[in-house]
Amino acid sequence: MLQKKICMLGSFSVGKTSLVRRFVSGIFSDKYQTSIGVKIDNKTVEISGEEVKLLLWDIYGEDRFQKVQMSYLNGMSGYLLVVDPTRRETLEDALDLQQRVKESKGEVPSVLVLNKSDLLKDWDIDSDRIALLERNGQIVLCTSAKTGEGVELAFSRLARAMLESPA
Amino acid sequence: MPRHSIYESFLLQQGLALFESLPGGQFVPLGHPPDWAKSLWRTSAGSHLNLAERSPFLENFLAESARFWDSASGESPDSGTWTEQDSAGNDYHLEASALWLDGRRILLVRNLGSIFSARQQVYQTARDSLLAHERLVHEIQKKEILLHTIIHDLSQPLTAMRGCFDLLLVETLPPNIAKFVNIGHRESLRQEQMIRGILEAFSADLSAEQSLGKDAAGPPDLALSSKLAVEQFSPPFFERGVKLVVDRKLDDSLDWRVIGDTPRIERIFGNLLENALRYSPRGSTVTVGLEDRGSSILAFVDDEGPGLPSDASHDRIFALFSKGKDRPGKAGLGLYFCKMTVERWGGTIGADNRPGGGSRFWFRLLRAPAASAASVKSPAPAAPPVTLSVPSAPAPAPKPSPAPPRPLRILIADDNETILELAVEILRSRGHFVTPVSDGAAALDAFVKNKDRNKFDVVVLDQEMPRLNGLETARAICEKEKKSGALHTRLVSLTGNATPEDSRRIRESGFDALLPKPFERNALYQVIESGFSASPDASAAAPSAAPLAGAVPAPPEDLVAHLARLTNDNAKLRRTLISSFLSDAPKKIAAIRRALARKNANDLAASAHSLKGAIAIFQAEKLVAAARALEAMGRAHNLKGAADEFRLLTSGLEELFRNLRALLPRSPRRAKPRRSPRSRKTRP
Repeated sequence: MLQKKICMLGSFSVGKTSLVRRFVSGIFSDKYQTSIGVKIDNKTVEISGEEVKLLLWDIYGEDRFQKVQMSYLNGMSGYLLVVDPTRRETLEDALDLQQRVKESKGEVPSVLVLNKSDLLKDWDIDSDRIALLERNGQIVLCTSAKTGEGVELAFSRLARAMLESPA
Repeated sequence: MPRHSIYESFLLQQGLALFESLPGGQFVPLGHPPDWAKSLWRTSAGSHLNLAERSPFLENFLAESARFWDSASGESPDSGTWTEQDSAGNDYHLEASALWLDGRRILLVRNLGSIFSARQQVYQTARDSLLAHERLVHEIQKKEILLHTIIHDLSQPLTAMRGCFDLLLVETLPPNIAKFVNIGHRESLRQEQMIRGILEAFSADLSAEQSLGKDAAGPPDLALSSKLAVEQFSPPFFERGVKLVVDRKLDDSLDWRVIGDTPRIERIFGNLLENALRYSPRGSTVTVGLEDRGSSILAFVDDEGPGLPSDASHDRIFALFSKGKDRPGKAGLGLYFCKMTVERWGGTIGADNRPGGGSRFWFRLLRAPAASAASVKSPAPAAPPVTLSVPSAPAPAPKPSPAPPRPLRILIADDNETILELAVEILRSRGHFVTPVSDGAAALDAFVKNKDRNKFDVVVLDQEMPRLNGLETARAICEKEKKSGALHTRLVSLTGNATPEDSRRIRESGFDALLPKPFERNALYQVIESGFSASPDASAAAPSAAPLAGAVPAPPEDLVAHLARLTNDNAKLRRTLISSFLSDAPKKIAAIRRALARKNANDLAASAHSLKGAIAIFQAEKLVAAARALEAMGRAHNLKGAADEFRLLTSGLEELFRNLRALLPRSPRRAKPRRSPRSRKTRP
């Protein structure tokens, strides 16, 4: 069976772990529990009639105390760049992180995930900026780990992009 | 039973799992593996296993370890923390290192156990605090932006309504229509009171926030704040391989206390440092420092990044939601906050490219007054309380306006078409010549085009305008007047932003008066015509017009009497004296400015001496004293404080110029304007 490594990247408290838990186990907890280090889960999905085992590397969120070790990203086929749109700075932090990933690993398929779509009324994000990113070819999807909205789609879109990628 | 080295024995006793790397990706445990390792990887003493197959995380780490073992040099790699789950669903929090031990390639794995829980608690607390802090900052910024929006946006339609009613009330209306117009006028006043009430509530709230910790700490010390910022931001800079330092030239023995408040100054430093970090390449240095600028202090953050884009104007960099071009910043809220805060304290903020590369973001704040530096700091020097008072009684009906003075040439800029049209109509109905434009840049353009012939008597500027705002336009006009030595043109600010801080900011940008929106017709006349009055009636003050420091409505009587005595009541001689001074003094000022710029003490002494003699004719004692002080500094070859003295001198001279101009008869051009007051130019 084909096996692909996916990394979950983004600032702290954007919902990376919640997305993985929702995707793998179908559960969600409202209580914020910060991640330390790396935890790897897996899930097998079917993409275009082919079974693919996704290894999901849930990597701790970046903040002023911890930066992501680029060595964790070795061998990854794609990554979800997770943003909490209720905190506008998490988008800029994510894009900053993406720039470092590109410098270190080159072009790798990615999906920018605007998580917490259940809190849409609290979103505080520049829609022009998002539109510009999409125009520049970035896949952008809205998800809610709480309701499950868009979660499967985000992973499957990434998986498809990874399979279509020449790398 | 295999024998272990003393190191191995020690490590095994600590509950660590040791594996020796064998050819072919195989590993063999040294000694008896701990229970957790057995449970995770189904291993036992002496059995071979392929760790990479058992753990995807280790597969990744072992590739890195292999490079270390193969090179036999460099730093031993650490895996960082990761979590593995055994078949029963138990989580184990682990860390691994690659070592050389007694000539063997050893993988050491440590189960963090309770250390992990303690570590997680620390991070959890820190991140919960960060989230709470982010939310708080966000709320404060939202509140400030909301206040700004209320002041500006709500006052615009109200101004239009008030203008319409004012215009209608001067017409002869049938009684039944007049009744409704009066009702509309009264209700618009009520609405204004309500908005003022909201503003007052917000303003009190913000003042409370601003005063937090003030009494205890005294005026904020920029040196302390800058050092604290460097200390606080050192870890993220270190992570990014960027050096963050305090400027070595910063002299701790000097007084660096300013007007403002410490928490906000720390946030300003924080925002500027975050911005610098975002653009700083690895290996570069960011320097935080201060410069003594006489009555103010300049704080700067210098980076060695790519510098500012060539098309980045000050407006764009500090605008709300402004973003960098290639590597965008945090949506612009931070720098916008810095600008709002600094300007509310009467300071300025900016960004420049440094000559040697990189950029400098700076802000400049006024020094704390000596009294407040000694005891309790005050947010700002006293500024006229302009608009935030709520009238306690219903506003009176509009009074008839005083007799109109001579027609004035007025340049007015406002991006709100309705307000512009109304103001033009109100001024035109008074007989003035009005040139309307829709933004600050157009106003500056019109001002420059008309600076020689058909010079404007008054320039009226809205504050929030595209391209150039009111403050920037006023500064640019003053700068041009200074450079050319031209007489100061009366500048009037029309603004919805009229808190005491705003009015101080407006005054310091060169405005002579401000008129808060919404304004009444008579108040508009009074504030514009002040200083040009030909009729004694014109001195009747309208209540809501707020002259600023430096604005002189009419020449003081003692000056008039003094000149009458001096010239033995010879009007022609008085005119010659005044005209000669008005033409000559700006040249002398320019000479002093040049001398100061070139630090030429001899030229300063000579120019100041010459100006001093000219001023003395008009009995302007304070100005004479300022000129004398400059002369003395020049003679002593000690220019410290000269810039401040010069500023005092020039601002006082502007007042004297206005007073003297008011004593001159009107020019024929102004007395007999070529254009009719209802010329098409007055149409926006």
